[in-house]
Amino acid sequence: MLNGIPLYWFLLVSAALFCIGLYGVLARKNAIAILMGVELMLNAVNINLLAFWRYVAPNAAAGLAFAAFIFVIAAAEAAIGLALMISVYRNTQSVDPDKLDSMKL
Amino acid sequence: MTISQVLFIVISLVVLGGGVMVVTARNLFHAALFLIVSFFGVTGLYVLLDAGFFAAAQFLVYIGAISILIIFAVMLTRGVQLAQPANSQWPAALVVSVIVFAIMALMLGPVAVTIGQRQFGSVSWPNVVEGQPAPAVPDDHLVRLGQSFVDFNQYGAAFLLTAVLILVAMVGAIWVARDRALKDVMEERAELAAEEAQEAMLAGPVQQPLPLAETRSAEAPAASVAHH
Repeated sequence: MLNGIPLYWFLLVSAALFCIGLYGVLARKNAIAILMGVELMLNAVNINLLAFWRYVAPNAAAGLAFAAFIFVIAAAEAAIGLALMISVYRNTQSVDPDKLDSMKL
Repeated sequence: MTISQVLFIVISLVVLGGGVMVVTARNLFHAALFLIVSFFGVTGLYVLLDAGFFAAAQFLVYIGAISILIIFAVMLTRGVQLAQPANSQWPAALVVSVIVFAIMALMLGPVAVTIGQRQFGSVSWPNVVEGQPAPAVPDDHLVRLGQSFVDFNQYGAAFLLTAVLILVAMVGAIWVARDRALKDVMEERAELAAEEAQEAMLAGPVQQPLPLAETRSAEAPAASVAHH
């Protein structure tokens, strides 16, 4: 399937996806949108891991194993993050991270 | 241009276009739908990388589970769904993201660039020769992956720890998102029961106190999540 695709194409796409996610995390006003940005960043990391597995070390299980761990951790992050947001929304009727400053001095 | 290259470019445009819409869409529900589009494109990239198992896992875990979870969260926080999409620092965030991407593209790209004394770009990775096909994937790569998960000289310990992590995260998520503390519910029920017992005693022995189940169902609608 890789007929003629160089490795750096995958690296550039995943770098671009990571930076899109970074922009989402930094610029969004809604905490759930921030979590979506984090999901995009984790996907970019996974593309990178699998691309390096395919091009550099297809005989080792390391790339696949790390990608599988990222999957599990992304699922845990999404579950915890969204549960927190639902809890915060229930208490404050808002999911704007700028308004969640009750722990500020 | 080979077919694979064309496919790669189309899929990459889907991934990146979906990603851009996720971070710019005004309506959060649309952002969640574009997130599914982006995940779908990533599935295609995994197929191009000969990682069929991970394409299937991406489909099931991300498109099937995580995006549904996100859509649930969007709907449970519906009142703020149409809020302003970007905060006041978005120009700075855009500049930071573009700079980070420029640095990464400079480092990873095929063109050698000399800045000062240092040379960037055209990195040579082991086993990657420009113009040569990538090494073949062994047929038993999934067998090796499975064995590495149960082999304590490889990722056995990490695999068990990950299993514990996801279990703790799931229990924690249920606990964090619970409606109210169980203790408060029990105390409230005990108070209600005591009050009713007192009223029944004052009214005389004929009137029976309400069963506990009825008092619980009477207070239930107030406790459930308000949705507009």
